[in-house]
Amino acid sequence: MKVHARPWATVIAIGLLLSIALSGFAYAALGDRLLGRGSKGPEVTELQKRLVQLGYVLGPVDGKFGSKTEAAIRRFQKEHGLRVDGLAGTQTIKELKRLTGQSTNASGKAVGYKNIDKNLLARAVNAEARGEPYIGQVAVAAVILNRIADPAFPKTVADIVYQPRAFSSVDDGQINLPPSASSIRAAQEAINGSDPSGGAVFFFNPAKTSNKYIWSRPQIKQIGNHMFTK
Amino acid sequence: MHRKFWIGALALAFLIALGWGWNEYRVAGEYRLLAENNNRRAINDFASHLDQLETDMAKGNVANNPAQKILYLSQVSSNSDAALKDFAQIPAQQTGLSYVGQFLTQSGDFARTLAQRIAGGGTISAEEEKTLRDMHERLMPVNQKVQELIVRMDTEQLVWTDPDPTIRERLGLGTQVAEAAADGSEAPSKSVRSGLDQLDASLQKLPPFSYSGEYATRVVAKPLGLPKGNVTRDQSLERARNFLNKVGYSNANPEFGGESQGELGGYIWKFKEAYLEVSRQGGVITLYRDQRGMEPRTLSIEEASVKAKGVLKSLGWQLVITSSEEFGSYVQFDAVVEKDGVRIYPDKVRLMIALDNGQLIGLDSVPYYAFHHSRTFPAKISMDQAVRKLRSGFQVLESRLAVIVKAGNREVYCYEFRGRYQGEEYLVYLNAATGAEEKIQRIIKTPQGEYLK
Repeated sequence: MKVHARPWATVIAIGLLLSIALSGFAYAALGDRLLGRGSKGPEVTELQKRLVQLGYVLGPVDGKFGSKTEAAIRRFQKEHGLRVDGLAGTQTIKELKRLTGQSTNASGKAVGYKNIDKNLLARAVNAEARGEPYIGQVAVAAVILNRIADPAFPKTVADIVYQPRAFSSVDDGQINLPPSASSIRAAQEAINGSDPSGGAVFFFNPAKTSNKYIWSRPQIKQIGNHMFTK
Repeated sequence: MHRKFWIGALALAFLIALGWGWNEYRVAGEYRLLAENNNRRAINDFASHLDQLETDMAKGNVANNPAQKILYLSQVSSNSDAALKDFAQIPAQQTGLSYVGQFLTQSGDFARTLAQRIAGGGTISAEEEKTLRDMHERLMPVNQKVQELIVRMDTEQLVWTDPDPTIRERLGLGTQVAEAAADGSEAPSKSVRSGLDQLDASLQKLPPFSYSGEYATRVVAKPLGLPKGNVTRDQSLERARNFLNKVGYSNANPEFGGESQGELGGYIWKFKEAYLEVSRQGGVITLYRDQRGMEPRTLSIEEASVKAKGVLKSLGWQLVITSSEEFGSYVQFDAVVEKDGVRIYPDKVRLMIALDNGQLIGLDSVPYYAFHHSRTFPAKISMDQAVRKLRSGFQVLESRLAVIVKAGNREVYCYEFRGRYQGEEYLVYLNAATGAEEKIQRIIKTPQGEYLK
C-alpha cells in the first residue's frame, strides 16, 4: 500500500505547485491590483512598457514602481482627463491598455498598430521641436508630410527624415531618442491632416541659422523659435 | 629599481594605448567602408534605374497596343520612384528643393496617370503624347550626365561632397566651386554632389511640364472661400476678441504674435495659453489652439459632440459632424458642409472640445476657406444604377451623395457607400455621373477611433 501511496503524493504536490505558479501568473496580470509607489513585479514592467509606448519617458523599464514611474502616471492621467493621483488603478490601466492596443478591422481582427509612420514622425518631432509650443510641433510634423506631397522631395517619411543633411537631429543621433507623448500626439494630428505651418516644406531657427539658402525661401510664419518657409 | 619600474609601466601604457588606437582606427575604417559601400550602392542603383527609365520611356512612346503601353508606362512610374529613392540617399551638404527629384516625380506621376487612363479604357491625346516625348528628350541628357559622373568617380577620384572651404578660400582668395554649380555653369565639378547640383541647375532653367496629375504643380491655388476685402491689424484684434469671447474668454486682451504670409496669411494673436490666427483677407479665424491645462473628464464623447454642435452654431457655421477622434482629455471632430443632401468633404472644419468642461480648445478652418465655393452638380445616374455597379457580395450599410477630393486637389462628385465585404469595412466612392470607381478607403478601428486608410 505504502508503495502505491507515493505517486498520489507526488501528483498532489505537483498540482499544488502548479496552482501556486498559475495563481502567480494570474496575479501578475496588469490591472488585477492597484499599483503604486513601491510596487514591483512583471505587471509593473508591463505598465512601464505601455507608458513608454505612449511616449511617457520614465527611465529604465525595470519592474519597479518608483518616483519616475509615478511622475509618468501623473502626466498620463493629466493628459487623459483622469483623476491625477499617481496610482495605476482600474481606470488608468484600462485607458492605458486601450490606447496601446492594436488596431482592428471591421470584424475585430487585429491588423497591427498601423502607426509605423507615426512613430518615426514623432521621433523627428521630438528631436527637432522639443520645447517648442505644441502647435509648432504639429507644424514640424506637417512639414515632413508636406514634403511627401511636393514633387521635389522623396515619397516616404523615412526617405525624407533620413535624406542626407535634411535634419540636424539625424546627424547628431537625437532622432533615436524615445519620442515624448506630445510629439506622438503632434504626429498623429499632422497625419490626420492638420497643418499649422501653412504649407511649409522647410523650417529653421532664425537665431541659429546662417545658411543662405534657407533664408532665401519665402517665409510663411514663425511659431515659437521656428520660422516656417515654402 | 624605481626607474626601471616606471619605464616598464610607461612602456606598457604606451602599448595599451597603441593597441586601443589601432583598434579604434580599424573599427572607424570599417564604418567608413560601410558608408562608402552604401553610397556607392545608392548612386549605382540611381544610375541603373535612370537608365531603365530612359529605355522604358522610349518603349512607352512607341507602343501602340494598350496592354504593352500600360506595361511600359507602369515600368516608367516604378523606375522613377526607385530612382527618386536612390537619389535621396546620395550624400549632400544640405537638402533643398531638387529639380532632379521633381523631374523624376513628375515623369513617374504622368506615366501612372496615363497608364490608369488606358487601363480604364481611355485614350491619350496628341498633346499628352508630345509631353511624354518631351520628358524622354529631357531625360536623355540627365541619364547621360549621371553615367559620366560615375565614370569620373573612377577616373578622377571624385569625392562625395565638396570639402569645406580652406582658410585661403574663406578669405576670398580661391575659387568657389559651389557658386559655379549654383549658376549651372560648366566648371568641372570636384565632387559627385556638385556634379548633381549642376544637373539640378540645368533642369531648373527648363520650363515646367504642363499635365494633370497628383504632382503636376507645387503651387497652391488661391483660396476659394475667404470673404472679400482685407482687414487691418486693429480690425483683426477686434475679430480675435470677439472669437475669444464666444469660446469663453470674456474681456480678453490678446497680445500681437506676428504676421503670417501666404494665401491664407494674416495676424497672429496670443492670449494666455492660446494661439489664434486671423486671416488678412476676410478677417476670419483660420486657426485656434488653446493649450490650457486640463481637469479630469466630466463629459462623454456623445456629450462633447452635442457641445461641438452648439459651438459650431454660436460661431455661425452650418455643418454636419462626420467623424471624431479621441485624444484623452479632448475630442477632435471633423465637420463638413452638407448641401442638398450632398456631403462636401473638402469644405471641412476641424474642432476640438475639451472633455473637462466642453470648451472649444481647437479650431482649424483652413480647409474650409481654401476650398469652399458654390458648386453645381452634373446630371447623375440613379442610386439603384450605382448600387448595381458595386461588386457582388458588397453589403451596403450606408449610402449618400458626396463631393470628395482626389489626388492633385481634383474634386469628384460621387456616391458614397459604406459597406462590408468579407469581414472588412470600406468606403467605396463611385462617380455620380458615370458610375466609375473613384476611390476606396478601408476602415480601421484604432484606439482613438475609426481611421480611413
